[in-house]
Order: sequence, then C-alpha cells, then structure tokens
Amino acid sequence: MTNLDHGKFTRMTTTFHSLLALDVFALFFTGYAIMFNDHLWWLLVLMGGNVGVVALHRIAGLGLVALVTFWVVMMLITDTGRSNFRKVVPTGDDIAAFVQDVKFMLGRADERHPNARQFAGYDSDEVPLLSYVGKGVVFIFAIELTLLVISGLLIWSKTGLMQYFATKTAAMAFVVFHGLLGIIMLMGVMFHIFEHGFHPAFYPLETKAFIPRRMIPESHDDEDVEGTGIERLSLAPSWNLVANLMGVLVTVGIVSVMTASIVDEGYPVPRELAVEGGVIELLLTIGINIGIFVLFVGLVLSLYGNVIRRRWERQLQEQRERPTAGDGEVASAED
Amino acid sequence: MSKSNQEVMGDGVMGVGENTRIFPDVEACIDCGGCVVACKRTWDVPRDEQRISISTMLEGQEGEGGLNASSGRAMEQGTSPGETSIPMQCYHCDNAPCVSVCPTDSLVSMEDGFVNVRDSLCIGCQYCLSACPFGAPQFPDSDEGVADIVGSGGTMDKCTMCDERQEVGKGPACAEECSTDAILVGDATQIADELERRDSGVFFNDVAMEIIFGDDAEAF
Repeated sequence: MTNLDHGKFTRMTTTFHSLLALDVFALFFTGYAIMFNDHLWWLLVLMGGNVGVVALHRIAGLGLVALVTFWVVMMLITDTGRSNFRKVVPTGDDIAAFVQDVKFMLGRADERHPNARQFAGYDSDEVPLLSYVGKGVVFIFAIELTLLVISGLLIWSKTGLMQYFATKTAAMAFVVFHGLLGIIMLMGVMFHIFEHGFHPAFYPLETKAFIPRRMIPESHDDEDVEGTGIERLSLAPSWNLVANLMGVLVTVGIVSVMTASIVDEGYPVPRELAVEGGVIELLLTIGINIGIFVLFVGLVLSLYGNVIRRRWERQLQEQRERPTAGDGEVASAED
Repeated sequence: MSKSNQEVMGDGVMGVGENTRIFPDVEACIDCGGCVVACKRTWDVPRDEQRISISTMLEGQEGEGGLNASSGRAMEQGTSPGETSIPMQCYHCDNAPCVSVCPTDSLVSMEDGFVNVRDSLCIGCQYCLSACPFGAPQFPDSDEGVADIVGSGGTMDKCTMCDERQEVGKGPACAEECSTDAILVGDATQIADELERRDSGVFFNDVAMEIIFGDDAEAF
C-alpha cells in the first residue's frame, strides 16, 4: 500500500467503466469488422458474419445509448454525481499544467505541474483527483461517443436522415463522419489501454478504475514515513519487454488504421480523396490486426481488473473476519 | 421516303455486352408496366419485390407551355414537365455512388462496366440506399428475422442489367419487352444519338448525368 493507490472511482463508476468498456469493445469489434472487412475477414466471421454483424453493432449501440442516458441522469440527480462532475471540469491550473508540460518537454521547465501528475512522484493530497490528461480523456470520450451515437442513430434511420438533411450528400457526409470518428476514437482507446496498463508503477494494470475508492485506505499506518511509497515498489521483471512491445504494437495499430482509412477506396473516405494503397495492403492487413490485438489486450485487462477487485474484496473480508493488531483502518467514505 | 413514312424511333436495344449503358426515354414511356412484368418473369422475382419500377410524377398535371409530351425539353427549360413516367432501375453508373460508399466492397464495378452486388459480402447496412440518387437498391429480406428486429436490410438486390442475357447477345428483358422502346440500351453515343433522333430531351440534370455516364455525359 502506497500513496500512489489513493482511490479514484466510486463503486458505481467502476461498474459503469467496465460495462462501458465491454460495450465499446463490442462496438469496435463489430464496427471495424465492417470497415476493414478485407483486413479483418476473420473478425467479421466471429462477429456474426455478413448477416449478423450490423445487428450486433446496432444492439451494442442501443446498449451505449442506455449506458450514457443512465450516466447523465446519475450525474444530475445524485450528490456524488454532481460532485464528481465538478472534479472533472477543467480549471486554470489544468491549462497551466498543459503549458508547463509543453515547456517540460522542451527542456524549459524543471518538473511537471501537479495537475499533470497522474501516476507517481507525489503525495496523494498534493494533486487533484484527475490530472488534465484524465479530464481530457473523460471529455474527449464523452464528446466522441455522443457524436458517434447521434450520427449512428441518423444512419440507422434512413428516413430520419433524409428528413433532417434533405440531400444525399449530407446523408453520406454523416456516414463518412461516423466512420472517421470511429477511427479517431480507436486511436484514443489504444492510447488509453497503453497508458493505464503499462505504467511501471501499476503494470499490468492501474486498479483505480476497478477497485471502489471506499475500499482503499486514504491514510496509512506509517504516516511519518518520508516519501510517496514509490521507492518501496519494485519493477516487474517483464515490464521493460512488455511495455516496449506494447508501445510498438499501439503505434503500429494507430498508424495502420489511420493509413487504411485514407487508402481504403470509397469508405470512409470518398473515392475522390482516396489514395491508391495496393502496394502496402499486406502491411496494412498486419498492422490493423495488430491494432485489434491491442484492443483485445484492453478487453482482457478490463476483465482482469474485475478479477483484481474480487480478490481485493475477499482480502478485506478476510481481514474483517480475522482482525490482527496493526491493521490499517479502512475509511468508510461515502460511495 | 416520304416524310410520313420516315422512321422516327429506332429500337430500344442498340447494342449489348461490354460498356453497354441503359437509360430511359421518359417521353416514350406510357407506364404500361411491361418492363416490370418482363423482369419478374425472366428472373422469377417474387410478387412483392421488383428490380425495376415505373415512377409517375405530377400525375394528372399538364406540362407548361405545350410541353406536355416533351418532359425532357421542359426540364431543360426549367419548367414543369407535367405528368411523366420514368422507368427507375439501376443505371449501372460510371461514377456509381453505391460502389463508393459500400463499406464491405460487396458492390463492384465490373470490367465490362456493369455494377454487381456480391451477396456473400453484403451486410445490409443500406449505405448504398443513402447514396443512390435513383432508389435502385432494394432490400427484399429487410422484414425477415434479425434484419426486421434491428432494421438492417438483409441482402441488397437490384437490377443486374440481365448480364447473363447480354453474354449471349440478348438485350435486357425490360428493354426488349418495352412496347414503346422507352428503355434505351447501347453505348453512350448510341443512346444520345437515338434521343436526338427522337427529339427527346434528357430528363435528368447534369449532376445525375455525370454520375451515370461519367466523361461520356458530354455526348448528350
């Protein structure tokens, strides 16, 4: 137990996060099986074949609508929801943190701003609950999912689309928009998987998104100990190889889906803007499959996070049943 | 040959095979439904499906300025053509929007210029329906099973331009059957020349003609 482990998500948020991940993965696996059907022919077969893939995609889409609606309502009607929302709203410090990060990368700042320290090297009470990067992830995903839902529903309802946009050009613009936004979101999710799965302090998974914060002590036995606790961590032997390998796979996956979305004649980029991609088709096939593998790793990590949560709960229960001297008190903060 | 015996209309089918185009002469169409019957009979198309249908617009209305029998001319002049019947089908466009948007490449422009749908790849997303300016894509399986529940289209079906008949030198069934030769089949120049000989105007606007004929649209 270190100060790095301060809780972040409520129980509801952890459940929501896992359900959202499952649903978004279902949307990705079906959506990309459609978009890159020639590169991911095997995935198309697994996702219901040409007869069922659209049905699965739309059912998962309805699931997303339900999840988002539930979440918005919870943010509005519960105190915790409103308080969490306030913690997600960007502040001046976040902008300062971004500016300082740019300076830091250019070698013109000695350290990163507290609002940029998502993972390590600080006491938990020194930094806000979410770094500016974390807030960015919440906002970017929320906006992307909202736009994907709206464009998806309009594409689903042909008559609705025509009714609102009158021209076929506008209707097709929405189809293209939906496809390209999916590509952009895929890149974000790949990065998100890498960011929270392969940090040296948390490898193979940052558990804050899976273990409710009320189950994580906010105080420690050894309050007088200097340091953040990071010095007590040892690096997993496999981290170096795996983190580098996953870094390469994420990069290859992102570059491949970006490139394929430009050279794939017709969709999602209109034919006039498409680039001839015959010579690199084989490389793209490998690259896109690598990208899908990264998503699959994310799915596995999401499931693993819930396994970790169950183990954590069991350990806490065992501690409650057999109390021993020196046990840290578990804060019962509201959930 | 006296003026009264001069042939005004040639056959609808002027050529078949590679790079053959199909295009309606709306001024010759009398909405008899012969093309629809011929298509159904040739390809055993079920009662509630069709690959060609006749759309009648401005039913019962008279055209502007004596152009009642010259719908194409009226459209070119930007006036009302009055009641007009248009045989609507897949025109196997040179710049086919359906091919461009199909996410699974189930729609392909073949080397002979025909646009084919590969049933094994079609996922029923209906993007082609959004893209096609002529309403050609049909979804006969859309009310069956899963497709009905989630609103997907099943497998898309459309006019094949009777490619199998053309391979043996026959014209598309609809054009061969048309009693008024209102469905023209041939290359772009043949179709343009025949329309001109009949003094029939082109009913579609420049954008649609560019989609259907590509660079050959200049022939009109």
